[in-house]
Amino acid sequence: MTVPQPEQVRLDLPARYTYLHLLGDCIADMLRLLEQMQDAEMVIYNIQLAVHEACTNIVRHAYENKGEGRILITLTLAFDPPQLTIELQDTGKPFDAASYEPPDLDDVPSGGLGIFLIRNLMDDVTYTPVPGHNHWSLTKSLLMKGI
Amino acid sequence: MEMKTRLVDKVNIVDIIGRFDANTVAPVAAWLEQMTTKPGCRVLVNLSETTFADSTGLATLVQAMKRAQQHQGEIYLCGMRRSVYMTFELTRLDKAFTIFADEEHALKAFAK
Repeated sequence: MTVPQPEQVRLDLPARYTYLHLLGDCIADMLRLLEQMQDAEMVIYNIQLAVHEACTNIVRHAYENKGEGRILITLTLAFDPPQLTIELQDTGKPFDAASYEPPDLDDVPSGGLGIFLIRNLMDDVTYTPVPGHNHWSLTKSLLMKGI
Repeated sequence: MEMKTRLVDKVNIVDIIGRFDANTVAPVAAWLEQMTTKPGCRVLVNLSETTFADSTGLATLVQAMKRAQQHQGEIYLCGMRRSVYMTFELTRLDKAFTIFADEEHALKAFAK
């Protein structure tokens, strides 16, 4: 039996909140190719939320919400093993990973939940600053029914 | 996102329909600020038709709750879908808010 080649979608969006909902539809359409995915609707929602939070951070912090800049997004759905990887690239300010402090959930946080959600909803999250741009990679392994 | 506001039994209710996120939060935040600065306010956020809520939406609700408490008021949430509720659980905000299954139960709680 041959394994299908990974499905890949590339998007190049202006770094504005207005367009981020487009990602959600794209993620859902790609994941519905996996007909036997466990808890599909919940998994789709969680990935949509994590990617949305990552893009919101890029708009708000990397580009300081000035309505400028772009986000290059590559979504890759692999089938064996099934997993979705979302790579995000921007040319804004680097993310200051050293000064990031996770929110204190015992103290009813009113901010700083974005990175927390990304890390808790995805299996693997990496941030790599390279000269001229920032690169995020978010990966989620997908479980199939009966496996 | 569409936002509808109503007054039922002296409770100010907002229905948030569709996406409640960084792109759509502004009118809800403005309305909540107006309502929760009234002394003894009673505010209900109906999320039964909210299809998506991000951390900006959650932060807006937390700020409203803290403001309501400062003014001896109360803010309840109701009608959350499973996916939205999961985010509240993950961030432990399900413990911070008073959450009801539907509007009827929330209004009964306000009436007590």
